[in-house]
Amino acid sequence: VVAGIRGHLTTWGNVRTLDVKTAGTVTGEPVSMRETAVSQVGAGPLDALPLVDGVLPRDQVAGNPQPGNDAMKAEFASWENPGVGKCPSSCCTELEMKIPNGDVNCGEFQIHREGTFTGEALDKGVRVGNRGYLVINRRTISGTSSIPVYSVREPWNAVERHQEVRSTSDLGPETISKLSIANVNEEVSNQEIDVDFSDGVGVARPRTLRTNPGQAVSLSCDSTPLNDENAGYFVDDGDMDVIMNSLELGRRQSAPDKLQESERADPEPSAEQTVIKRHGFADFLTRSLFSWKPKESNSTAAASGWRLFGKIPPKDNSGDSRIPQQPEPVRRKNLDFEPLSTTGLILEDRPANLPAKSEEEAQRHRQQYNEMMAGAKRRELKEAQRKKKQMKERHRQEESIARAVVVWNTEILPNWENMRNTRRVRELWWQGLPPSIRGKIWSLAIGNELNITPELYEIFLSRAKEKWRSFNETGSLSENEDCGVDKESSLDLIKLDIFRTFPSLYIFQKGGPYHDVLHNVLGAYTCYRPDVGYVQGMSFIAAVLILNLEEADAFIAFANLLNKPCQMAFFRVDHDLMLKYFAAFEVFFEENLPKLFQHFHSNSLTPDFYLIDWIFTLYSKPLPLDVACRVWDLFCRDGEEALFRTALGILRLYQDVLLQMDFIHSAQFLSRLPQNTPAHTLFTCIANTHMLSNNRRWNQVFSALMKDGPKEADKTGSPALRS
Amino acid sequence: MSETYDFLFKFLVIGNAGTGKSCLLHQFIEKKFKDDSNHTIGVEFGSKIINVVNKFVKLQIWDTAGQERFRSVTRSYYRGAAGALLVYDITSRETYNALTNWLTDARMLASQNIVIILCGNKKDLDADREVTFLEASRFAQENELMFLETSALTGENVEEAFVQCARKILNKIESGELDPERMGSGIQYGDAALRQLRSPRRAQAESVQECGC
Repeated sequence: VVAGIRGHLTTWGNVRTLDVKTAGTVTGEPVSMRETAVSQVGAGPLDALPLVDGVLPRDQVAGNPQPGNDAMKAEFASWENPGVGKCPSSCCTELEMKIPNGDVNCGEFQIHREGTFTGEALDKGVRVGNRGYLVINRRTISGTSSIPVYSVREPWNAVERHQEVRSTSDLGPETISKLSIANVNEEVSNQEIDVDFSDGVGVARPRTLRTNPGQAVSLSCDSTPLNDENAGYFVDDGDMDVIMNSLELGRRQSAPDKLQESERADPEPSAEQTVIKRHGFADFLTRSLFSWKPKESNSTAAASGWRLFGKIPPKDNSGDSRIPQQPEPVRRKNLDFEPLSTTGLILEDRPANLPAKSEEEAQRHRQQYNEMMAGAKRRELKEAQRKKKQMKERHRQEESIARAVVVWNTEILPNWENMRNTRRVRELWWQGLPPSIRGKIWSLAIGNELNITPELYEIFLSRAKEKWRSFNETGSLSENEDCGVDKESSLDLIKLDIFRTFPSLYIFQKGGPYHDVLHNVLGAYTCYRPDVGYVQGMSFIAAVLILNLEEADAFIAFANLLNKPCQMAFFRVDHDLMLKYFAAFEVFFEENLPKLFQHFHSNSLTPDFYLIDWIFTLYSKPLPLDVACRVWDLFCRDGEEALFRTALGILRLYQDVLLQMDFIHSAQFLSRLPQNTPAHTLFTCIANTHMLSNNRRWNQVFSALMKDGPKEADKTGSPALRS
Repeated sequence: MSETYDFLFKFLVIGNAGTGKSCLLHQFIEKKFKDDSNHTIGVEFGSKIINVVNKFVKLQIWDTAGQERFRSVTRSYYRGAAGALLVYDITSRETYNALTNWLTDARMLASQNIVIILCGNKKDLDADREVTFLEASRFAQENELMFLETSALTGENVEEAFVQCARKILNKIESGELDPERMGSGIQYGDAALRQLRSPRRAQAESVQECGC
């Protein structure tokens, strides 16, 4: 016997767990857990709940025949409230269903509004732990006048719930009434579950297990032995009659066939019920779920079959006077941050048929409960504050962006040349350009020294297209790789690289909205500058521009950007010039981060290992796109100096980690920066990086190096590039 | 960072753009296929400790950019490499035809005794094959290369490529054909005690390749 009274052994979390499992376990296919799966039991902010609407992966819901199902518990362990104590006086039973191998293997179960699942998981047996809902709290019940309902679904409000409950009890058997166990703890918002176990005579394969979250909890089964013996479960509360009525109703309703045989009192089930009946879960239950029960389809089944409140051998009817005393107060807390009350659970006495708790134990439980509540309250408050702060921050940001857009549009842009270098504009610029005008400002800042017009772009584009056509006709022209500028193989490579440009965005890949645009821009550029051709890294630059500008404007900005001395040096892979840049960088590196500089130096980690990637892609590959765009803003404001300043900012940001690393780990780290580099900390680091060395600015240092000739470069430059 | 290993080998991964060099490396280290990989610009790094014939060998892998334009940059990284994976794409004859150039570079710029394994990558795309196993293995034989067809997608032969290359280097060390003490061998002793045996003069001379890990 697996089921039984376990309540006081069960932690709250497990109750929760089983609750979830109820939906999950029966299930072979992923089950949408929208309704069933619950809110937090004891405490904890609701939003911390897992997405109830989600679908459980198959392996999580697959039926596990083991009663303990520890794996399942573990699976949901994260849902539990940490530090929650045991639930002392609660008494939970489990609904145990077993399916002998092969007995049921293609049944399809359906849970109302929750999803469909097949019976594959049932091959080995299924266990439904109903501790989550089929539990009754004695005290709670006794204190109310209406039927206490326990449910796995959250009702939207108590009134509604009660209405549901009442209607359930008032309804005749022809309604979808079910066996309902209700808890009327007012403060507790419950969830409700419905399980219709309708029997189907002669139908071997159970098909439906319906859990209707809209209904008051009901679990019905033809074999549910809800006879007088059950009264024992409920002690001597006046409400028990009501409950029992409800239970009985549910039983009848969901097991019309049985009733037809035994009582013949129920009206015909509705059409819908007939359907259910045919593929009823009860049938499934009677026939195969409960291996201890032979295939009985007669009235005896009703008396001695499946136990709703615990798995009790058919012979031992007296033994099933154990009703789960542990309600699952699955409650959704509304917006105030009072932890959810679990009074109904933890502070209850044990059922009468169990030995009472000792005073000491009760005391301890009360204390645990109080601690739980206090902890939960703290957490919820903290979380709420955090959320509020976050929202406020976001709101503030949005507002400031909106304000900035106005300022840019109305004040700065109309007066661009005069204002672009003013302190105010530079400060505003530093905050990051508003995305809506970013492209525009970039275009203005990059300028159009080359005087490229959209018409010119069209010309080069059509030339590129012509080239692609002939290329496609004649096949690969790129045999002669060593011909200096490998412009023919550029065509191949562009194709290859477009596919690999921001692959996670899925917009530049084949079929993506910007695939052709990127292809066009890069192709037109190879025709515009055949001496440069396509160089890897360009696709990233073009892509970022395309994300912010129209195609022709993107090309104009692209061509002008690459025409800048620093970019030209790199994309032509001009060794001497690159070494100058690295040397200048190292001057500021040593100035700003002497410790790390020394560390790198002793590890022979030269700037080329990381700077090549960073400069070639203008940080759009190593940094998250939004952060990269801010770096671009800075680059547009300050020119190439900003690129090296950003590099130093990155090194500063990760200085502590890097100081602990040897050559290979540093190199690995720098060639794959953490994906979550946060913009604000990085920009703080950039702000703390001063591009001044001996009162010389970047340009002065760089031109001094240029004058020094290769000697200087050799001394400080990257040995790696000395070939 | 306390890592114990007996040897440290510097490995190169070279070959044309788009042959799957970075994916091979990723598969080797992470044991999974990187389907959102970017093209390598300059050089990227990876490292892994493997166990070969009862020796722990740390591979320090330099994954180089494939585009011709970067050749002048990547060439400077060859020096002192003990082993190399020379990668081509079995579905692209162009990448196969480029092998001679890569090979010349590697032999010329890396250590003289560099052990190179030829990898015909994208073995999973057998339907699009443009280079037969036979011709590639003949090429390998002629040029004294080891040869494997690999798939960074499925992982087939990926680990083997690195391990076989490392094993051959170890064999060469044992047979005395390779002297780890010789400068630019691309090999370091991993054990600190052993490392101290090396002459301080030599240790100073080591620059880029000997990384001090």
